[in-house]
Amino acid sequence: MAERTTPIRVLIAKPGLDGHDRGAKVLARGLRDEGFEVIYTGLRRTLDAIVAAAIEEDVDVVGCSILSGAHATLLPKLAASLRASGATDVLVVAGGIIPEADRPELEQAGISGIFGPGTTIAEVATFLRANARRR
Amino acid sequence: MPADAKHLAARRELAQGISAVERPGPAANQRIQEALAASTADARNALVVGLTGAPGAGKSSLAAALADVARAGGRRVAILAIDPSSHESGGALLGDRVRIDEHPDDDGRFTRSIATRGSGRSLAHVAAAATILVEAAGFDLIFVETVGAGQAEIGIARLADVLLVVEGPEGGDEVQAMKAGILEVADIVAVNKSDRPGAQAAFDRLRSGLALGAGAPELALVSATAGAGISELLATIDDVGAGRGVRGRIRRVEAHLVAAAESHVDAQVREARASGALTTRAEQIVAGTQSLTGSLTALFGISETPDA
Ligand code: B12
Ligand SMILES: Nc1nc2c(ncn2[C@@H]2O[C@H](COP(=O)(O)OP(=O)(O)O)[C@@H](O)[C@H]2O)c(=O)[nH]1
Ligand SMILES: [Mg+2]
Repeated sequence: MAERTTPIRVLIAKPGLDGHDRGAKVLARGLRDEGFEVIYTGLRRTLDAIVAAAIEEDVDVVGCSILSGAHATLLPKLAASLRASGATDVLVVAGGIIPEADRPELEQAGISGIFGPGTTIAEVATFLRANARRR
Repeated sequence: MPADAKHLAARRELAQGISAVERPGPAANQRIQEALAASTADARNALVVGLTGAPGAGKSSLAAALADVARAGGRRVAILAIDPSSHESGGALLGDRVRIDEHPDDDGRFTRSIATRGSGRSLAHVAAAATILVEAAGFDLIFVETVGAGQAEIGIARLADVLLVVEGPEGGDEVQAMKAGILEVADIVAVNKSDRPGAQAAFDRLRSGLALGAGAPELALVSATAGAGISELLATIDDVGAGRGVRGRIRRVEAHLVAAAESHVDAQVREARASGALTTRAEQIVAGTQSLTGSLTALFGISETPDA
């Protein structure tokens, strides 16, 4: 496959009422330092807002950070909305507090990677480079 | 309720167009020309407003507040927020959307974050091209936010129809001392955060300092977050921008031509550094085995004609 000539664009989003933003910020800065263009939406965005931002920013990756326990409802809806709006080749990943038992269902719903506490930036960067669309 | 797919289709097309012109070359140029032709055919006449000023002055918040007022008046509004790419990693942290409310169901709004990428000049190379595409997509008012730093100010001044400099309440004194350059090109200086102590004093300092010069910029005292003075500021922007007609589009094309040339040179410089050719040549020049003129040709294809 051809080498990318432009940085991978990643939207880091915080859906719902979850106010834990430390992980999202750590990740946003870390990925910037790994050469990614990171768009951070800020806290408490609706799923529709995240989808619209992903479209307008033409991102390669949407990364959701969820520590509130709402992942099981939010993430499948987000993945479905993204597909419905034509963003079919956008990689969707998530992180935060997501119990092991919930992961198979999320992966089934189109969440390609799930990263919990203790994840290193390098791990995330490697995964995104390997799995984000090429262009 | 999932965002309506059809609803977002127009925004997706514009978004992908901007990504496409971020890669300079004939395909990008073709796309830009098509956009220009479409704008001319539709007799479009977007107003491009540059916002510049120190980080934290409130540029994003103010662009969002102005956009809300303009949108309420029925205008279609876009915000292009430009932030620097890291020289070391090539990555960027684009956080302006945090200050800009999302309007997922409103096709009369569009927001895009842009990294400067290879631009050594801190106004992104793609800035002019992006405004051309956004205008062709039917937006009447386009805000271009860029961090005020040296050369970027001149770049945004050339690109925009109206240049708005945003100051925090701490400004005023240092405006005149340190930013003489920007005040020469500013159309409007807005002191933001009027809800905070010191803003009125900063505004007064600025006014007494600027009263001296002819062609001094318009002044405004506003609060982006409290919504004070925003309608008045938009009216001032429209006054300053009135009557520019097709000149605005012509200026955007000028800016794109310059950006394309700069982009070309920047790429050559990067390549010469990365390959070591730049250092090798410099060593040879110091050793006396190569000439400066010949090296400019070899490295960058520049052929200097001798002075008459
Ligand atoms: C710090 C903290 C807080 C701080 C948050 C400060 C802030 N601005 O972020 C404060 C004190 C405000 C807080 C409040 C609350 N908290 Co709290 N909080 C924590 C704590 C101790 C650490 C979270 C943290 O910052 N970790 C450090 C960061 C760097 O790690 P991280 O977020 O996990 O991110 C890493 C990975 O998960 C991953 N990652 C994260 N996001 C993403 C996204 C992508 C795309 C990718 C690829 C990777 C990725 O990469 C990161 C780097 O490794 C956790 C417990 C824990 N050990 O996790 C509880 C915890 C998250 N909180 C919890 C709760 C219940 C609350 C409160 C509801 C408490 C209350 N009753 O008031 C409130 C709710 C606040 C709100 N509005 O949402 C629970 C959540 C339970 C659940 N989900 O079932 C936890 C798990 C504690 C517990 N064991 O019960 N909290
Ligand atoms: N008090 C007050 N704070 C403001 C105002 N406008 C912006 N801010 C805050 O100033 C900070 C920087 O704003 P931002 O728009 O991101 O500035 P930018 O870096 O110039 O784009 C944020 O915390 C804003 O909430 C204002 O009118 N009043
Ligand atoms: Mg900003």
